[in-house]
Amino acid sequence: MPRTFTLKFLRLVLVVLVVTFITFGLTKLQPGDPVSKIIPFGTAQQKAELRTDLGLDKPFIAQYGKWLGNFVQGDFGKYYDSKQSVNTVIKTSLPVSLELMLYAQFFALLIAIPLGVTTAYRAGSKYDRGANATMFALLALPNFVVALLLAIYVGAKWQLLPTQSNVIPFPLNPLDNWTYMLMPVVALTLGQIAVYMRLLRSDMIATLQEDFITTAKAKGIPTRRILWRHALRPSSLTLLTVAGLNVGALIGGAIVVENVFGVPGLGKRITEAILAKQYPALQSYVAIIAILYVTVNFAIDILYSVLDPRIRNARSVA
Amino acid sequence: MSAASIKESSATTPASEAPLLVVNDLKTYFKTDRGLVRAVDGVSFTLERGRTLGVVGESGSGKTVLSRSIMGLLPKRDVERSGSVKFEGVELVGADTSLMVEYWGDQMAMVFQDPMTSLNPVMRVGKQITEGLRQHLDISKDHANQTALALLSSVGIPEPERRLRQYPHEMSGGMRQRVMIAIAIACGPKLLFADEPTTALDVTVQAQILDLLQTQQRDRYMAMILVTHDLGVVAGRTDEIAVMYAGKVVEKAPTKVLFSNLRHPYTEALLSSIPKISDPSHTRLKTIGGRPPNLINPPSGCKFSPRCAYATDKCRTEEPPLSAPDSDGHQFSCWFPVELSAKQTAGVR
Amino acid sequence: MRDPLPDHGEELIHLMHDSEARSDVPADSVTQQFAAVSAGTVKAKRKGLPLGAWIAIGWMAILILAAILAPVLPIPDPINDANPLKAAQGPTLDHIFGLDGNGRDVFSRIIWGARNSLFIAFAAVITGFLIGGALGLISGYFKGRIGGVLGAITDILLAFPQLVLALAVVSFLGRTVFNVTMALAIVSIPILARITRASALSWSERDFVTAARAQGAGHIRTMLREILPNVLPAMLSIALLGIAVAIVAEASLSLVGAGVKPDVTTWGNVIFSGQAYIRDAPSMVLFPSMVIFFTVYALNYLGDVLRATFDVRESAL
Ligand SMILES: Nc1ncnc2c1ncn2[C@@H]1O[C@H](COP(=O)(O)OP(=O)(O)OP(=O)(O)O)[C@@H](O)[C@H]1O
Ligand code: SF4
Ligand SMILES: [Mg+2]
Repeated sequence: MPRTFTLKFLRLVLVVLVVTFITFGLTKLQPGDPVSKIIPFGTAQQKAELRTDLGLDKPFIAQYGKWLGNFVQGDFGKYYDSKQSVNTVIKTSLPVSLELMLYAQFFALLIAIPLGVTTAYRAGSKYDRGANATMFALLALPNFVVALLLAIYVGAKWQLLPTQSNVIPFPLNPLDNWTYMLMPVVALTLGQIAVYMRLLRSDMIATLQEDFITTAKAKGIPTRRILWRHALRPSSLTLLTVAGLNVGALIGGAIVVENVFGVPGLGKRITEAILAKQYPALQSYVAIIAILYVTVNFAIDILYSVLDPRIRNARSVA
Repeated sequence: MSAASIKESSATTPASEAPLLVVNDLKTYFKTDRGLVRAVDGVSFTLERGRTLGVVGESGSGKTVLSRSIMGLLPKRDVERSGSVKFEGVELVGADTSLMVEYWGDQMAMVFQDPMTSLNPVMRVGKQITEGLRQHLDISKDHANQTALALLSSVGIPEPERRLRQYPHEMSGGMRQRVMIAIAIACGPKLLFADEPTTALDVTVQAQILDLLQTQQRDRYMAMILVTHDLGVVAGRTDEIAVMYAGKVVEKAPTKVLFSNLRHPYTEALLSSIPKISDPSHTRLKTIGGRPPNLINPPSGCKFSPRCAYATDKCRTEEPPLSAPDSDGHQFSCWFPVELSAKQTAGVR
Repeated sequence: MRDPLPDHGEELIHLMHDSEARSDVPADSVTQQFAAVSAGTVKAKRKGLPLGAWIAIGWMAILILAAILAPVLPIPDPINDANPLKAAQGPTLDHIFGLDGNGRDVFSRIIWGARNSLFIAFAAVITGFLIGGALGLISGYFKGRIGGVLGAITDILLAFPQLVLALAVVSFLGRTVFNVTMALAIVSIPILARITRASALSWSERDFVTAARAQGAGHIRTMLREILPNVLPAMLSIALLGIAVAIVAEASLSLVGAGVKPDVTTWGNVIFSGQAYIRDAPSMVLFPSMVIFFTVYALNYLGDVLRATFDVRESAL
């Protein structure tokens, strides 16, 4: 068990390294001199000094090494112009994005699981076909469309919820926090429901064909319990993996939704950094997202093997 | 006890002491894209507590569908089930699932063919046993655990405490089949189905499992329906044998009578094709020439006629009815039954 | 005793779960969405295409035709015929989808946008199809070291949120049509590589492949003649879904201000420019959103039909 996990962990570290290395390389391929961006009107002398200060005169690998060293020590760098530290920006924006994604993930699963279970059980029924058609349509509905529809009707036309970009932190005022979060969360959740529901449904349909389901039935276990105790458990393992992999889509969705609603989360900050060509900051953001994604999946991998006795034992034997 | 005497006794006893199981003209058809599959096509028999019925036939003859149809464990959709199944006088055909749940596991139970897939892979073995107990018997968790422990030892599993906490994949096939048997007998059912309980197992453990089933059946005074495609399996272990072909019972007799006086050419063919010990464990019965019949468009007349060595024109046009039981309780459906002389060539085991 | 399965949705899922749940580096989210899309809506019977498929094909045909013919269609030129005095106007008889913030006709912008958006999506996925397909085929066929290395590269590329990857590429390379296309192609390469690889892996075990090899067929010939034809349906259905994803991705990039520069008309940019006016003229956002929705729906649906018709299950096992 420890060995496979060490191996997995090493591979994930490798992924983060490769991703950050590539993005770092891309920033260096940029046309234009970052120094000229910081002090556009500085003298050649000043520029040269700044270049040495920033380490821009060193070879590429050394620059990457320095960035990596700082990053590992928790120094995420600075914005070019204002000397604003990336750490402060992350401190305020990351919790907002995490909150958004957690809510979305939670509600998506909360709705998708009962839907998936019941439609699988009644596969082919009117209810199933209706739910399926709805979900298929939801899959084709990009989250920015949902976001814009909400912004137009709920926000602008009917003025039910605020569209302004203030997010009050949850501890300060939970209710306010929710009124600001509601629309972004809905926009992010809808598509995820469809993804989870459809995967769970087809997985459950397969599970319900398994012999052990007939065994449970032959024991006189009521249908409800068979569905939730016997069939969902193995299917939920796949759902769990999918939920982990889906974090990638969730991050992408959060970036879009935050931009549409002006939510001051990491996604919004990333796009701002892109537009302002704040490459050092961007570099750290990308790294943080990669780490976030990889960590979630690593955690799920561990959880998975805790939940699935077959894997658990295979590992402890190995 | 012959079929005739069963009828006598049931006529004089009140309904509550009706025979344990009376199956009458049971039919089970599947609607498929290709047409109606007549998997079980009019099967009747009676079974009392403490007795064992062997159901024998080739692959695809409808044995599994028959046992599941009796138990009511059929797919929800695209199934036509008709006829009558009376369990202690209560009609089960057409019964609601809410009623069947009371019978399943409690009054009747089933041991399935493949212990590798029949146990829930992500649930501890102990839980899988106690679950049924607690469902039907309204006992405490502790009590259920004690019972599970006792059950595991009674099916011959060493170190039952440890095994209770294990998952199915940590056990061998024979061990798992013992667990399946423990699950099936947990609530003390009156009727036990065993659907080819050994086909998926190593030859070495097959006899052990069959012996275990037999002792449990005797000790608990259960009725048992033992399904197999191997006449050798049912020879010493059943009171009666029903031979199935194309969804119908073509010959039925007390075991001794059948082996000493088989009348149906299909039974004869089956007997001469008993797999040898040296064969791989799941060898199909290939030695009977020709293919099993198409259940969607069965041949006219006797269903066995395309493969029967004795077939005549009559066989191909008129379907032989199942004869009334003779004095030995022997029934068969054939225009030209095998004569005594044929027995010798078939060889009695 | 098994029920015939109500649909054929499982194969892709299993195809992916089998490889993903066991591979050490997790796969991407887009593959998961593909899997979700392919979770069987269409029950293709041998009878031919369902009505829905014809509607979907019709919609795509009209869209593609309009995109190609945009310069000769009798529609106002979105740039030269702009009427800044009538900016942000709702639908009228003259301008059925209304006018945008610069007085440009939204209907004609959508058609001109189709030119760029569809080009980007198709070009990106075709590139991904060719490169990813080749990589997948090779790594599925040569199971040894080559396969392992290529598989690992795919996994690494997949182990990163797709939109962030595209965002990074575009922002570093510049906001041109070419760069956006390249970014989306890079995103789709590993997805197609993975699908092709999983499928090719199973087919390369089959007897007829061994037979072809035994008769002296070379590696390339075996791959192209024996394996590719069997893997193609799975690749094509994924590619169709990929085009849908690429269309959404292009729009998403534009919406966060990191897509093609705003002066190039794409669907994403049409929506982006309408965002400021959602209070007064929501039609500027609603119409292009609707067009994207229908297009994505049609492509998802066709991918589903394709998979069901060719019964991708077989190749997946
Ligand atoms: N759900 C179903 N839908 C359609 N046909 C079915 C279904 N279940 C069983 N059948 C058909 O019914 C026939 C009888 O099958 P059954 O499983 O009872 O045979 P069997 O005698 O148990 O064979 P085996 O020795 O292989 O277990 C077969 O032709 C089978 O294809
Ligand atoms: S009726 Fe004829 S065909 Fe049928 S088993 Fe008897 S002899 Fe053979
Ligand atoms: Mg069977």
